[in-house]
Amino acid sequence: MARLSTCTLIAAIMLCAFAAMPSLAGNALREKGKPATISGSPLTVTPSRDWNRLAISPGKKTELWTLDGENLNDVTFFAGIEPGKPLVREVSKKRKPLPKFTSNTLLVEVPELLEGTYRASKDIATFTVSGAKPDRFLEHDGIRFTYDYVDEDALPRRGEGRAALIKGLLYMATYDAPRLHYYDRTLEDFHALTDAAKLN
Amino acid sequence: MLSKKLFAVAFAAVLFVTPATAQERTAVKKGFDLASGSGKTVLVMRPTVRVGAQSTGGMFEPNGDWTERSKKNIEIALTKIQGKLGNKIVVAPEAFGDGARLTEEYAALFAAVSQSVINYQFFVGNRLPTKKRDNKANIFDWSLGSGVANLPGAKDADYALFIYNKDAYGSTGRKLLQAVALLGPGIAVKSGEHAGYAGLVDLRTGDVLWLNADGAMGGDVRTAEGADKRVGQLLEGFPGSQSEKTSVTTAAVAKP
Amino acid sequence: MKRSRIALTAAALIMPTLASGAPAATKSAPPPPPYAGVYQPRGVDEIGIWRDEDEEERQLSNSPLVIRDEALNSYVKGVLCTAVGPDRCKAARIYILRTPVFNATMAPNGTMRVFTGLLLRMRSEAELAAVLGHEFGHFESRHGLNRFKAARSGTDLLSWAAVLTSMSGSYQSQSSFNSLQLSVYGGLFHYQRDNEREADLLGLGYLNASTLRPQAASQVWQNVMGEAEASASARGLKKPRFDAIAFTASHPPDAERAAYLSALASPEGASRDDGAARYAKAISSWLPLFLDDQIKLNDFGASEYIITMLSSGGWTAPLWCARGDLYRARGNQRDLVAAAEFYNNAVALDPKLPEAQRGLGLALLKTGRVSEGKAALSRYLALKPDAPDAAMIGMLTAKDS
Repeated sequence: MARLSTCTLIAAIMLCAFAAMPSLAGNALREKGKPATISGSPLTVTPSRDWNRLAISPGKKTELWTLDGENLNDVTFFAGIEPGKPLVREVSKKRKPLPKFTSNTLLVEVPELLEGTYRASKDIATFTVSGAKPDRFLEHDGIRFTYDYVDEDALPRRGEGRAALIKGLLYMATYDAPRLHYYDRTLEDFHALTDAAKLN
Repeated sequence: MLSKKLFAVAFAAVLFVTPATAQERTAVKKGFDLASGSGKTVLVMRPTVRVGAQSTGGMFEPNGDWTERSKKNIEIALTKIQGKLGNKIVVAPEAFGDGARLTEEYAALFAAVSQSVINYQFFVGNRLPTKKRDNKANIFDWSLGSGVANLPGAKDADYALFIYNKDAYGSTGRKLLQAVALLGPGIAVKSGEHAGYAGLVDLRTGDVLWLNADGAMGGDVRTAEGADKRVGQLLEGFPGSQSEKTSVTTAAVAKP
Repeated sequence: MKRSRIALTAAALIMPTLASGAPAATKSAPPPPPYAGVYQPRGVDEIGIWRDEDEEERQLSNSPLVIRDEALNSYVKGVLCTAVGPDRCKAARIYILRTPVFNATMAPNGTMRVFTGLLLRMRSEAELAAVLGHEFGHFESRHGLNRFKAARSGTDLLSWAAVLTSMSGSYQSQSSFNSLQLSVYGGLFHYQRDNEREADLLGLGYLNASTLRPQAASQVWQNVMGEAEASASARGLKKPRFDAIAFTASHPPDAERAAYLSALASPEGASRDDGAARYAKAISSWLPLFLDDQIKLNDFGASEYIITMLSSGGWTAPLWCARGDLYRARGNQRDLVAAAEFYNNAVALDPKLPEAQRGLGLALLKTGRVSEGKAALSRYLALKPDAPDAAMIGMLTAKDS
């Protein structure tokens, strides 16, 4: 009897672990030249070099691509965030809610939305938007912005984001990397990825 | 954007369900060779040491006392082992202001790079496809960038030795979980995490020439003997040292 | 103020506390014992090759989070010295960290960390002195109690951060204070319950013997509870349980604490200055920054509570602007209407505050008042032509509605 209940306990814990985890599909290759659909959405990206897509992502409708690991280069695609939703998965909707994209969020406010998401989810106060300008993205009027922040691992990072509001949904791609060596190293690859991105 | 905590939990969950595997790996950049007595100089950077407890849920709870004690033990152990490293050793000079901040940033970057090597190239379970390919082709290509030449002390040395050590001692709750994991053979619940990385970096290019990573190290670094053992493990196979294994130079990145 | 010469040893101070499980609540906290000098410098031979200096403090002093402004640092140090006296405060080295958490800690080697979330929430020198004095109390009593150290193995010491986490009650928020960043720079220590009472006793002892008003200590707790209630309420959560033992069961419940802190404060100190005006002045140039950090955490109730508290000193343009930012961030239609009103109040007080014009413009645009909105945005661009988002805002002013 005791053994049974222990097994039940372990099973319950493992089920929870599984439920909390994304699919165990494994990290996938995104091959050069092969169009890849992002998270089952109309967004397609055709990489100009081989990339990796991580098995885990920060939320629904997102994918995380990397060359060397998300600590060193992190390209996150947000493929059609709906009004009323946060950018990334909330750990606790009630106790730690994240800022939401809304139907009246302006394009110029998208950097603030990203900033609030990073600050609230990581408990940091070191985030600065260093620039924002109008720029086409996915063949729509969009925004391109840059930022700096220090994450939980005390490594200062730089980032660039591109976003557009299309049919009421938010499409965005962000690129984060340590400001030492890594940001500059993969910036052009990020540009190539996002320049070639298409909305079907 | 991925929260590091979420990632750590998810990754830990992956380890939870896979069979216990080897946790130690060494890699050498193709073509790199450092013989003993080569006339080259190694700059020993101040080690980064984190020690704390691991809660039932697997989160790291740092402990100031333990970290302080372990730090001292590890430094003393390093002093003792210096003479066996085979080449000229220079200790990173005391730095202040911007030089000190740069040193800290590179230490953090080294930790991030080592973590990536461990998560995505070294061990089965979570490899990146492009890194799996590198393994097959005997490629070990990681770098801190050529900016390392600006580190205090860099102009007087050829290579830099970075050490990162993290110990999260399993709490009672987690040990209990470990004890009751009766589901079957080969299922390992990790209680505690004792990870260390030692890396040799080329001070001209920033390339990581040698990396020794061990995700399950022995020795309780809160004691002097434990720290001796730990440092010995970290620097096992250090290029040019007396303890070098000949197998190291044939790039021990394992089969995918 | 003349300090008492009563020769109480630390042990004598502590023993009655532990025996009864609670401090003598009917008497004021006694003055602190004569200062023995708790930090012993270590010998040079202890470390082989690097100079004798703490790893944590080295990393701390090189951290990107540290605020190095001399004026702010010397002010905070000054408040500590007023609280614990010049002999004691020599033992502390203060680091102010840009982290939006209500916390201060003091490490055994004398490193004191003060988070900007704490500076945001203090209303006076007396309140700040109460918190810093409490932390110093942990520091001082730790060394006087070697026998207790020996009795405990691997002690974890908690600081005020634990109180805030306990209010949310969930493991996830607990873990947010265990993040690596805080761990490296925050020097979190985990105290046992009796140590917390002991630090309260010492902390009040310092305050009673100082020139500042000791009743402020209890006030800090009242505000902490008020903020937690406001935060929970805005999130639709049940009230935080103040009289329940916290998640870690290692420190006194909050309502009880506010009560005995009040009792420990010397009545004759009630008429003293609490340095509210001096504090407001010293912090004034930093307040908008720290408040902005708080607002961006997306805790509406707590941020609104703090803004309301700050407004008791009078509404300023930056404070109205911050309130506008808070409401605009939540972004419901009625929030946007309120935001426009708040930004309007800000520009009425200071037409040259660029952020207020920007916020006003955006709020007006989003509530259908397009021409007024464009006008405000144009004023923003005129005030700040090199703003990081000038090109984006420019497009909004140019576009046809």
